[in-house]
Amino acid sequence: MSITDLTSMAKPEEEAKEDINEVLNGLKEDVPSFCYQCGKCTSGCEAFILLELEPSKVMALAKSGFIEELKDSDVIWTCLTCLKCKERCPQDLAPVDVLFALKNLSVSSGKQIDSGISNMLQSVLSSGMIQKPKEVRDHKNEGVNREDTGLPECPKPSQEELAKLQQTLMKVAQEKLR
Amino acid sequence: MELGLYLGCLIPTEQYAYELSIREVFPKLGVELKDIQGPTCCGAPLRNINMSLTMYLSARNLALAEKQDLDILAPCPYCHQALTRTMAVLDENQELREKVNSHLADEDMRYQGNVKLYHVLDLLHDVVGVEKIKEEVEKPLEGTNIAAHYGCHLIRPNGLERPDDSEDPQKMESLLRAIGMDSEDYVEKLDCCGAHVMVNEPESALTKTGQKLEAVQERGFHGMATMCPWGQRMFDSKQEDAAATVGASLELPVLYYTQLLGIAMGISPSDLGIELNLSPIHKIEHLEVEE
Repeated sequence: MSITDLTSMAKPEEEAKEDINEVLNGLKEDVPSFCYQCGKCTSGCEAFILLELEPSKVMALAKSGFIEELKDSDVIWTCLTCLKCKERCPQDLAPVDVLFALKNLSVSSGKQIDSGISNMLQSVLSSGMIQKPKEVRDHKNEGVNREDTGLPECPKPSQEELAKLQQTLMKVAQEKLR
Repeated sequence: MELGLYLGCLIPTEQYAYELSIREVFPKLGVELKDIQGPTCCGAPLRNINMSLTMYLSARNLALAEKQDLDILAPCPYCHQALTRTMAVLDENQELREKVNSHLADEDMRYQGNVKLYHVLDLLHDVVGVEKIKEEVEKPLEGTNIAAHYGCHLIRPNGLERPDDSEDPQKMESLLRAIGMDSEDYVEKLDCCGAHVMVNEPESALTKTGQKLEAVQERGFHGMATMCPWGQRMFDSKQEDAAATVGASLELPVLYYTQLLGIAMGISPSDLGIELNLSPIHKIEHLEVEE
């Protein structure tokens, strides 16, 4: 679904809007409401040309309360997090953070997300890192492992520390640490 | 000076050349590096999923450094930004800090808020200093014009303390000049490498990568220098894929600045992981690497 379709659907959801604003409270109260649609974010957006992300539209839709539609759309997952929108907003807002909040909301509401993204979470829970040391190719196309490079062993948590971390992360995920 | 090296995920699991060159050059410039024990992901890649996890993981790594009484060198801009953000938020919000600390206590840790954070860029430019680097150069890499790629998270957002200016960063250029190279501004300098959507939108990600490489190549640069494992992964490791995606013939040498610095300091290229660069770095004659 593209963002354009969203404007013609459903009713504004005030409750969800409040939730988004709560998520963004750390930045400024009622964040999307301060947006006056100058379009500076979209003009500099790295994902605009390629992936049709229009941060100013996301802000307008969030401001109008179309949170459900936004959180279910695929377009929120195309943000490259280049942070130019956050840097250049004359109102000191951050479409990139609104997008993060929407993605968080989407995940917590049970939407199926790309396996590449959920795998990173799985990997952090099981090993502490988004991936384990990999075999890479050198310029002669030969395989090279971390051990082959002469680097010391990869610093990482012990099994015991990992078990504790896992438990804590499960608790933390249910809370609002922001 | 002694610093705790916090590598994050991407550097120690695949971007070995960055780690090798960092471990080579800094001790020779008077910065001893100690590994931070028991580190995990900084949490930045999980911000899409759950921001609380990002906050907690960053705080945990900061607390680990404090436990070892070390300030931090975080060479990955993504980590550096996540840690900076967490420090800024927890310094301002004591209530939140206590909440985070109550969880850290389960892991016998506590974040006190007295750790300092460096990236390669500010450590070299502001602490070691350009003059000191010039003194250490044995083999100036003259006659080569190199494009600087900073990495989005290294310079933005300005609201957080970043190692260089958000819209007009110049420190990497001055570091490149310090080792004899030329480095000019170019229109695409602040453009993104595309890495963030490599998992879910690979074609678009590689298009971004290819477009920037093509622009740099067409502007007549001899190569590109990076200080970001994500950018290096896209511009160097995936240059062939990027070329195929945008339908261009790309042959642009891409190296970590720390590799170039090491070569200029007379360190053997293979100690700097030069065999792991997949872009055609032999095109830069000074490097004296085989094709």
